[in-house]
Amino acid sequence: MAAAVSVRSVTASRARRRHRLRVLAFMSPWLIGFTLFFAYPLAATVYFSFFRYNLFQLTPIGLTNYRFLFKDPDAWRAIKNTMWLVIVMVPLRVLFGLGLAQLLTRIKRGGNLLRAVFYLPFLIPPVAATVAFVFVVNPGTGPVNNLLAKVGIHLPDWFNDPTWTKPGLTLLALWGIGDVMIILLASLLDVPKSLYEAASIDGANAWQQFRRITLPTISPVLMFSAVTGVIQTLQYFTQAMVAANASQGNADQAGTTTAPGYPDGASLTFPQTLYNEGFQQFNMGYACVLALVLFVVAMFFTLILLRQFHAFGDDD
Amino acid sequence: MSPRPWRLITALAVTAAATACTAGNQTPADSGPKAEAPQTIEVWHGWSASHEVKAFEDAIAGFHKLHPNITVKLVKGQDDTKILNAIRSGNPPDVVSSFTTNNVGQFCSSGALQDLTPYLKKDKVDMAMFPKAVQDYTQYKGNRCTMPLLADDYALYSNKALMKGNQPPKTLSELTALAKKLTVRDPDGTIKVAGFLPSVTYYEHVPEHLAGPGFGATWLTPQGRANFATDPAFTKYLQWEKSLLDWYGYDNVKKFVHSMGQEFEASNPFEKGKVAMAIDGEWRTKFLQEEAPKVQYDTTPTPVDDARQSTYGGGFVTGTIIGIPRGAKHAQASWEFVKYLTTDTNALVTFANGLGNVPSTIPALASPNLDLPPQFKTFLDVFKNPNSTTIPSTINGGDFVVKFQSFVQDQWEPGKVPDLQKGLQGLDKKVNDSLQLAGG
Amino acid sequence: MTETSVATRRTPALSPPAPRGSAGRNRRLLYWVATHAVAIALALMFLAPLVFMFLTAVMSSNETLGGGLWPRSWHWGNFATALTTDHGVMLHWLLNTLIYAVLATAFMLISSLPVAYALARFRFRGRKVAFVLVITTMMLPPQVTIVPMYIMWARFHLTGTLWPLIIPMLFGDAFSIFLLRQFLVTIPKEYADAARVDGCGEFRTMMRVILPMARPAIAAVALFQFFYAWNDYFGPLIYTKPDSWTLAVGLSTFRAAHHVEWNLTMAATLLTVLPVIIVFFLAQRVFIQGVTLTGVKG
Repeated sequence: MAAAVSVRSVTASRARRRHRLRVLAFMSPWLIGFTLFFAYPLAATVYFSFFRYNLFQLTPIGLTNYRFLFKDPDAWRAIKNTMWLVIVMVPLRVLFGLGLAQLLTRIKRGGNLLRAVFYLPFLIPPVAATVAFVFVVNPGTGPVNNLLAKVGIHLPDWFNDPTWTKPGLTLLALWGIGDVMIILLASLLDVPKSLYEAASIDGANAWQQFRRITLPTISPVLMFSAVTGVIQTLQYFTQAMVAANASQGNADQAGTTTAPGYPDGASLTFPQTLYNEGFQQFNMGYACVLALVLFVVAMFFTLILLRQFHAFGDDD
Repeated sequence: MSPRPWRLITALAVTAAATACTAGNQTPADSGPKAEAPQTIEVWHGWSASHEVKAFEDAIAGFHKLHPNITVKLVKGQDDTKILNAIRSGNPPDVVSSFTTNNVGQFCSSGALQDLTPYLKKDKVDMAMFPKAVQDYTQYKGNRCTMPLLADDYALYSNKALMKGNQPPKTLSELTALAKKLTVRDPDGTIKVAGFLPSVTYYEHVPEHLAGPGFGATWLTPQGRANFATDPAFTKYLQWEKSLLDWYGYDNVKKFVHSMGQEFEASNPFEKGKVAMAIDGEWRTKFLQEEAPKVQYDTTPTPVDDARQSTYGGGFVTGTIIGIPRGAKHAQASWEFVKYLTTDTNALVTFANGLGNVPSTIPALASPNLDLPPQFKTFLDVFKNPNSTTIPSTINGGDFVVKFQSFVQDQWEPGKVPDLQKGLQGLDKKVNDSLQLAGG
Repeated sequence: MTETSVATRRTPALSPPAPRGSAGRNRRLLYWVATHAVAIALALMFLAPLVFMFLTAVMSSNETLGGGLWPRSWHWGNFATALTTDHGVMLHWLLNTLIYAVLATAFMLISSLPVAYALARFRFRGRKVAFVLVITTMMLPPQVTIVPMYIMWARFHLTGTLWPLIIPMLFGDAFSIFLLRQFLVTIPKEYADAARVDGCGEFRTMMRVILPMARPAIAAVALFQFFYAWNDYFGPLIYTKPDSWTLAVGLSTFRAAHHVEWNLTMAATLLTVLPVIIVFFLAQRVFIQGVTLTGVKG
């Protein structure tokens, strides 16, 4: 009796050990990757933020880098620009994506083709999309501005005028609406048709149906799009940088560096100032401080998202 | 793309934790193969036009005869950012050269480029062969980490046909008057031919080429801090610049600048006859010869403020520098190359002739073999003139110049600075804060 | 949420209440025309930049500055010029891009599949924490850790090459793990159980039974990874030097190098975009399924 129990428990513990090893084996790539390429660099970011480091000399300087953050006009400029994009670009993208998705649900013939057309710009490599866009809306030479000028509409000098640079980037972001649109379209199509039929019998008009049925059903997805949109916008880099380079008329003379964020710092986003400090000026310690600021803000929105996953019932 | 990464993954795992604390390893000055061993050295430089690339190849023909064992691989079109990145990556080329002296402070103080003093001592190179100004801009606080490879200076080019018989101006008031007189505009204000474009966005009309030589502006205080608000010359320069700009109309100038061609191609507006007068470097003589041989032009020193007429004859002087990165794998062969190129009279003269640049040693400057267009003489004179100026080195390179340029371009020219003195004080603070962050 | 049948999915989610009589029919017609007119107008606007890009790419260099819309003469040679300019540097960028994209995709699949499988199938302590961490790393901007990462790769003398972008893919990619896991949890347990009864080990069960069923998800993550690498600008900008530049970084310098020759810049841009468009039309379903998977299914 006793022997049997112990045999069973030995088998069970062996099985448990085997199970644990198997889990470890399957999980190992990620465990290593997470440690090496996330946990360690994150800790090192904190460490380096207390040093002056240009990859040649490492000098401890206490809180100097943190203090500099408060008097660095470029950093504040960048924070303001990134906030502008979060406040304007993200809601516009969600609204526009929702509008397009709604429109697509009403088109029967050719709907698939239209969906492909609206989705396509999202796939275009950002660098290529930006270079093309800057050219197309460039006054003087750009076809779009020229075409509209012929019918009397004069568009601004988007990427050379500090006031219009961020609206120009927003326009570019709306062109690449594909990702938001597809997710919202899928969720719209998931709203049970019977609900609309019932509402329609009750005499609800289109707006009431949208307000009472569509919106509540898709609101978790809307929320998801908005929060991921914010997190993406916090790392908004490529388009801003490429637009600045492509619209800056004079090719740089070799050897001279120009101030980032052309024109007049209007396109300087937070990741860009981080790039500039860390990889152009090589103030790597200070760049770490900027990275930590980005970490804290992005983490805040990630937590919102994680809570949402719970709402989705994703924690088994 | 070797199997190296596989081995490295293991190494990576082991040492990742330790990497945070150690700085990059120092390369001892005489590591690597001896200069006599057969080897290939990689040389990065900034020239890109085809006549420039050819000039470099011609200049090192003599080196191949002297050191047949050393193959030289020239890589064109490099700039300081790429150079610094390569050095930081630990995989630098063997020799680097840069068009600007802006970053000498950074190159030397950080050790990115090796101190050449031991080599110079070993080979008993006499530094007296270089003019004083040239000796200065190639070192930082006694650390000589670069050598001068030809020099550049700036003067006023004037297109004879567009000048309509007027003599080139010597003072800034003459320049201003002529600029207005020679400008041709459409009724709507669009500039067809510009007399002289004051904007800093016009290629070489950057502040350092005008504020220093024209107005006598001093960039840094004796303590090495920004001097924009404290030196009235900057205010004077900015007011002159802005008043001429406003005469053209800011939007008209912007439009002109955005539609003009590329600086180093035949589409350059001076070469195209769209600009009557422009400050430019001596190399333009060569470009004009190559790309626009029909253009008749004069060169004269940079015009000066009316109150400073005694200083007329100088200009902005700078030069190309060349050095050996830390971590270069063939440092000794590299030194032989650098020594040959920067001290050999024949090499310098061939190179200067090919590029239309100013030679950087006294013997080469005096060489009868210098074969340059008559307009080039102005540049040789400016180079020797005691009133010529350059910009100082700081620990964060030309950061103060970049910040000043962006202040002028983005704030001042569009008219966004209500109180200039206050604006300049803000700029000074910004520059000083950055200097402090970089450890200056 | 996923119970609606395929048939109902295709019907409009929101049709206006059907009014009766001929007035109603007219209103409906009007509504139909309005919707389609807006949709077509928007579609034209979405396509316009691509069309102009193409038209500019075949213009002569002078014409691009004139602001004309239609090329006076067609310069097909611009594409060849863009490819061969500067000793065919674009082809070199293309090669680098392919090396990056292919290796990154292959490595990602090898390393991410088992992790996603474990997260979807195994019960173990810390599973939830691990999944939360995967989502966190997926969400956080890459700029947060870039400085120490760069320093680390510089120590290994691998900056200036594509390896800092490829090697980490051997250790799982958070986004791909997340997406694969989301798909794998939808596969009924019974399939795996049946395989186990047949005496398959866990690894063989994964390879033989589950993976074939997860083919659409695998295709989606592979495509996403491939295009991520193809489009990536930040990574190559930080790590590569001119001889290891990818198309994205190279293209961003193209404008500066060719200044007013917008026709060549547009030709180069179009050449970068073309493969993406072709693959998209060939594999549209995969894409759209994949995107949907990221957002909605729980």
